[in-house]
Amino acid sequence: MSSSIFTTSKDVFLDVVNHKDYVQLDRVSTIYQSLKDSIKKPLKMILLYGKPGTGKSMFLTKLYNDLSSSQIVHLYQTPILDESEFYKTLAQDIFSIKYSGELNFTQFMKIVNKSDLGSIPVILLDEAQLYSDVLMEKIRLLSDTRTIKFVITLHKTEKEDLIAKEHFQTRIWETIELENSSPAELKIYVQKKLMKANCFDTANMFNKKSIHTVYKFTHGNYRDTNKLLYALFDLYATYEENRQISTFGTSQVPTKLIEMAAIHTGLINA
Amino acid sequence: MLDIRDLEKRWLHYKIKSYIPHAVILISLLVISGISFFIFDSSSDLQKQTNQESLKEKVSTIKETQKIVKIKPQAIAKEPQITMPLKEPSHPTKMTIEPSLSFMKNMQSATSPYYHETNNYSIPSKKKKIIKAKPVIEETQDVIVEAKEKVKEIPIEKVNKISIKRRDTKDDIAEIITRFKKNNNPALSLFVAKKYYELGEYKKSYNYALITNQINNEIEASWIIFTKSLVKLGKKKMAVRTLQTYIQNSHSSSAQLLLEEIRTGKFQ
Repeated sequence: MSSSIFTTSKDVFLDVVNHKDYVQLDRVSTIYQSLKDSIKKPLKMILLYGKPGTGKSMFLTKLYNDLSSSQIVHLYQTPILDESEFYKTLAQDIFSIKYSGELNFTQFMKIVNKSDLGSIPVILLDEAQLYSDVLMEKIRLLSDTRTIKFVITLHKTEKEDLIAKEHFQTRIWETIELENSSPAELKIYVQKKLMKANCFDTANMFNKKSIHTVYKFTHGNYRDTNKLLYALFDLYATYEENRQISTFGTSQVPTKLIEMAAIHTGLINA
Repeated sequence: MLDIRDLEKRWLHYKIKSYIPHAVILISLLVISGISFFIFDSSSDLQKQTNQESLKEKVSTIKETQKIVKIKPQAIAKEPQITMPLKEPSHPTKMTIEPSLSFMKNMQSATSPYYHETNNYSIPSKKKKIIKAKPVIEETQDVIVEAKEKVKEIPIEKVNKISIKRRDTKDDIAEIITRFKKNNNPALSLFVAKKYYELGEYKKSYNYALITNQINNEIEASWIIFTKSLVKLGKKKMAVRTLQTYIQNSHSSSAQLLLEEIRTGKFQ
């Protein structure tokens, strides 16, 4: 095993949202297909929700990359909290109108009504729970005009559930929930991710027991799994540098190392 | 670069912490099982002790009784060593010896004549009682024979009084009639019928024979007295018919003989 394999494997689990890192799992693929189908429907708004780390941002990124070649689609991963800035950004991205001064909702609506794009632009808003209630209400009004289609993601918490109920209950025609993976899905996720980066040896190190240990600490959350496995391969790399790798061997991932990685990432309070 | 040493220390801490609940549960289980075993063991020891004590008592009792039982053949063999169980006066199971001794007394009084010489118990008085009882039994047996083996429940006292039957006075008959009225004994009514017949009062003998028949129609003597009374009263045909009916049912030879005597005129 080359000395760089653990570093390469470590980099695979860097917590970066990149559509190339999207791992095709059966259940996730079905959800993604239903999301794509929903975009084609004449829906006012689509809500994508789930706990943090369930892959909402990855979904939006993947959707953006898949749709950008065929239709007008804009992804906003970071919320634009200023209302005027939000309208100005949309005016520029959708209608290519650069507005120098303040742009309020009424002025933006005039621009929307005057425009004739031929197809309905799709706006993907990530972390929508960070938008103010006032701005969310304006987004609702914009979606009611059916000139712009919004796909928004929300964290599934009690507070966000309330927002969803109050603002979108009557307007959202499609709601898609993302969940943590099962142990079997987690194994596929980890091995596919490693194999994508040609780390076949490290992918084979994960057996049922080690995956269950990982699942015990992460509960199938993709973000936590990425963090844990990044720390795990970091540990491997460090032991390798200290020439102590023979203590554990490379045939399978020992529970001790997974627990140490969990302690390092804070998943275990030790 | 990770601080592996620090991480390993933290991991060791974590491991110890994670094993603490298991260790606590294990230790507590061991302690509980140990305590319960100790309690069970001590209670069983106590039980064993009590059992052993009771067993010892039982064994000693059994030994005593065995000793006594062993004495029986000795007594029968007429060897004057009957006082063996009395050799241990300080024994705690004195109480159990006492009834056995009384049994011995009875046995010895009944069997061994030598016992009177070696023992101071009041056996002669008991012997007297037994001797007294014997004639009573004989008397009752005699009385039952007199009542022709059919009156089994006749009390001894009554039978004793019946034994005065040989006195042929009317007063005695009246007394028996009153007793008959009290207990409705067919033996008494039959006796009265016989007495009246002997006295020549055939109407009364006929009546008492009839009463006896009503109480028990299987008494041959009552049938015979009844028919004899009928003949004496001049009702020969009726007597013959009565006897014929009785003979058909009972095949009595004495009734047959009487019938022949009536027919031939031997009995008038």
